[in-house]
Amino acid sequence: MNDVTWSPLKIWSWRLVIIGAFFGLWEWSSATGVLKPILVGRPSGIFKYIFSALFVTGELYRDFAYTLTSILSAFVVGSASGVLVGMLFITRPNIEALMSPIMLALNSMPRIALAPLFLIWFGLGMGSKIALGFSLTFFIVLTNTVAGGRSVNPDHITLARTLGASETQIFSKFVLPSAVPVIFNGLRLGLVFALLGVIASEIFASDHGIGQILALYGASFKTNSVFGIIFMLAAIGVGINLGMTALENRLLRWR
Amino acid sequence: MQQSPSPTDRQAGHGGTVYLDTVSVEFKVAGVLAVDKVSLNVKSGEFVSIVGPSGCGKTTLLNYAAGLLPAWACAGTFLVGGKPPVIGNRDIAYMLARDALAPWRTTLANAELGTEIRGVPVEERRRRALDLLEQVGLKGFENAYPKALSQGMRQRVALARTFCLDSPIMLMDEPFGALDAQTKLQLEEVLLQLWQRDGRTVIFITHDLSEAVSMSDRVIVMSARPGRIVADVPITLGRPRSVRALQKDPRFHELYSHIWSELEAGMGLS
Repeated sequence: MNDVTWSPLKIWSWRLVIIGAFFGLWEWSSATGVLKPILVGRPSGIFKYIFSALFVTGELYRDFAYTLTSILSAFVVGSASGVLVGMLFITRPNIEALMSPIMLALNSMPRIALAPLFLIWFGLGMGSKIALGFSLTFFIVLTNTVAGGRSVNPDHITLARTLGASETQIFSKFVLPSAVPVIFNGLRLGLVFALLGVIASEIFASDHGIGQILALYGASFKTNSVFGIIFMLAAIGVGINLGMTALENRLLRWR
Repeated sequence: MQQSPSPTDRQAGHGGTVYLDTVSVEFKVAGVLAVDKVSLNVKSGEFVSIVGPSGCGKTTLLNYAAGLLPAWACAGTFLVGGKPPVIGNRDIAYMLARDALAPWRTTLANAELGTEIRGVPVEERRRRALDLLEQVGLKGFENAYPKALSQGMRQRVALARTFCLDSPIMLMDEPFGALDAQTKLQLEEVLLQLWQRDGRTVIFITHDLSEAVSMSDRVIVMSARPGRIVADVPITLGRPRSVRALQKDPRFHELYSHIWSELEAGMGLS
């Protein structure tokens, strides 16, 4: 490959061209009836809906707040316990040997299939949403924490032992810092899974929330609104990811 | 006549001695006799190099001294600073073949790592680290992370980290093995300066004969596995030495070829 690296300007222009072409083609096909607008929606209609939902009717704010609260709770509880249990596994290999097959079995269950049970156990409200998000986030963060703990350089351990380091010192000065980058990958994935779990559970059954609105609009063929909400969720996802990257760059300057 | 005590006097007695009497190391599970009846007496403040083919048990001896080997594998009498080997012995500073810098620590924090673990108070360890970073030629790089340093600079940091410890015995396991010839010469000079300043005992493992001859008081030649001592050659070159100047010294080359033939004999090549 002898390609010259493209300038950011060139990359951005082409990106916009591709996106513009996609939406243009979409708009044209649904306007001329090549594709049925009721099935695929129509970009102009989608943006009209987003605009009115955000600035005219404000109909989504309450549900967004509700859903984001669930996602954040599932993420915080799920990742905190994932990191804690992961550290327990790293420092107590016997407990890991005992528990890891059980964890693997639990993690292999299709969690979405548990949604009806969570509804029975925790009700229509936030509880069942957080439970599903948690059940996904916890395992992904746990796996990454354990992998991170294993990524410690054996030379560091030898050095620490010759220096007479205690177990606590070895953990805090070597194991934990070397695990942080891998844990961060887990947190990033964990957030995506928290979002997935909460929205899925809301679509299943809920008293409030974006997922419930999505289900409602989907069932009543308001395709533009469904796409509008999905685009907004995607935008939130991108925003959260950018935030994580910024935090990561700050914490892991040494990389 | 009142004289201020030199570092060597401070470490008189057993402090910096290493004593081995018919030491053997056998890894019974693998059925490997790594070291066979090695006897050696290293005086306080002496610079001793151990050379030998790879797999001759050089590193095993250092690991034994540092208390890293399981007791069941070891036989014979081994005394480090007058005491049997024990893990975390504060009389020992161990320098590994690879720099083992923590990538998340700055140069200064890496230099302080050993003293930090051994509980030296903050101001004291900071003072020592800054002093040693200057000694190894890294003044101005205190806040750099390892990723920004060259291989040679990283090994300088590791050298500073090792010498920040006040242990009388330095165990060095091929610390310059991965460096190019020029960088290696520079670091050998740095190591000699540090050693001449403090007068601590150094046991230096290498497979580079030239390195061993130019720095040491004595070169111990070991045979291929099972590791035995086949020669113990005093290096009669004067002190202080310049590693660079020695490269052109005929006596240096005489010693070099003498040890080389001992090494070949030990490998069963002649």
